[in-house]
Amino acid sequence: MATSISRSSRRGVASTLIRRCFAAEAALAARTEPPKPKLTVSPSPDRVKWDYRGQRQIIPLGQWLPKVAVDAYVAPNVVLAGQVTVWDGSSVWNGAVLRGDLNKITLGFCSNVQERCVVHAAWSSPTGLPFIFEFTGLPAETLIDRYVTVGAYSLLRSCTIEPECIIGQHSILMEGSLVETRSILEAGSVVPPGRRIPSGELWGGNPARFIRTLTNEETLEIPKLAVAINHLSGDYFSEFLPYSTVYLEVEKFKKSLGITV
Amino acid sequence: MGTLGRVIYTVGNWIRGSGQALDRIGSLLQGSHRLEEHLSRHRTLMSVFDKSPLVDKDVFVAPSASVIGDVQIGKGSSIWYGCVLRGDVNNISVGSGTNIQDNSLVHVAKTNLAGKVLPTTIGDNVTVAGHSAVIHGCTVEDEAFVGMGATLLDGAVVEKHAMVAAGSLVRENTRIPSGEVWGGNPAKFMRKLTDEEIAYISKSAENYINLAHIHAAENSKSFEEIEVERALRKKYARKDEDYDSMLGIVREIPAELILPDNVLPEKTTTRVPTTHY
Repeated sequence: MATSISRSSRRGVASTLIRRCFAAEAALAARTEPPKPKLTVSPSPDRVKWDYRGQRQIIPLGQWLPKVAVDAYVAPNVVLAGQVTVWDGSSVWNGAVLRGDLNKITLGFCSNVQERCVVHAAWSSPTGLPFIFEFTGLPAETLIDRYVTVGAYSLLRSCTIEPECIIGQHSILMEGSLVETRSILEAGSVVPPGRRIPSGELWGGNPARFIRTLTNEETLEIPKLAVAINHLSGDYFSEFLPYSTVYLEVEKFKKSLGITV
Repeated sequence: MGTLGRVIYTVGNWIRGSGQALDRIGSLLQGSHRLEEHLSRHRTLMSVFDKSPLVDKDVFVAPSASVIGDVQIGKGSSIWYGCVLRGDVNNISVGSGTNIQDNSLVHVAKTNLAGKVLPTTIGDNVTVAGHSAVIHGCTVEDEAFVGMGATLLDGAVVEKHAMVAAGSLVRENTRIPSGEVWGGNPAKFMRKLTDEEIAYISKSAENYINLAHIHAAENSKSFEEIEVERALRKKYARKDEDYDSMLGIVREIPAELILPDNVLPEKTTTRVPTTHY
């Protein structure tokens, strides 16, 4: 409030004429040009601008609690919400968001979801996307099977990825797509809804097109990559203490502020 | 019994104290490589000097999102996990009922190669379904749909009821007319939207408003509430509905654990008892 008052007085508008509750909107209207329909925003005074707890990693919704296996590495700034299951040996790297609030998300054995991916699942309503689930019959949940490497910055939505695949970085897999076993998607590929990537092939591009079939050596490398990332995640896993010691700092703050600990 | 309780409490305190001492010894052993954990300094709503965000009270802003600078967000909108709305050099205005999904970026530009700089305006009931869409200095009008991973560069205008397909790159100053789907890199006209799809856009925006309420409630829980729910969940997890129905018992799901009906369109809360044995 104080800043908006100072802003309007800086403009030379008599602040006595403007009542406090309209000051913010007047400043808004004066500043934005060309004039557009005024956005009436009524902010709440209780809104928290900074929470010392940060973002919770595991967010249960209703009765769904995300389940993380004991040896799976999930980075601290990952958000797992809703029905998410992270199975053994898998890893979810920094900044990923696995939002299973509408449907299930499963991350299979030794798979990994790399940095800043977003994995989401649409609900299976036929009034949703009218051309997907009636044709493909695939479930609307996102299933990432074992030994899959999902490259950084990918977006997966209601897709099924069969065992031993590599999804390139920044790829986009839309609803109902199926990536069959032992196939590789190149970086930056966009798989349109309902597309099936056949087994043992390399696809890429926007929209994803067939590039070539994979040689046997390349097919053997796919699970090796997943296992290598699994080893790497073991290093990261051992970096973290089982229980954080931040509570000591919190207690110190609370004591200094006079809040009972 | 009072003294015994006190004794146990004191012993517990000693054990905790020795645990902390052991932690300090361990840190000493680790030397300079030790892990020092600090409070999270991530600021959800951050103001840059005098530009502070103005967020309506009905808006769900995920704690891991960052709303920085000169941003106005209208009621019912939602900013999902990991988004960054950086209005530091110009203005961002997000209308009501809009949802900006996970990991999206909404930036503004101060200067442009062409020279003309517009603030970013996102209208009402827009679905920036783009997990990871990048919107940079452009205008998105009401009830538009920006697909996943789309990148909208400076000066682009997405008109009402238009759709930007997933993964597309909309070049500078492109205007996407109403009712059309544009996609690809660079974005070109693909096809026209059917009326069903236009209805779907507004329905999905509405669904997200409901979903946002649930996430908002969950994220704003205090520590005590989280612990209570965790205990409830643990208690409820052991129960198997099939087994219960065979015994003829109906156990109630605690009210805190039930999601409201309006989130999943086909979710039924009543279980139909099976009679085929």
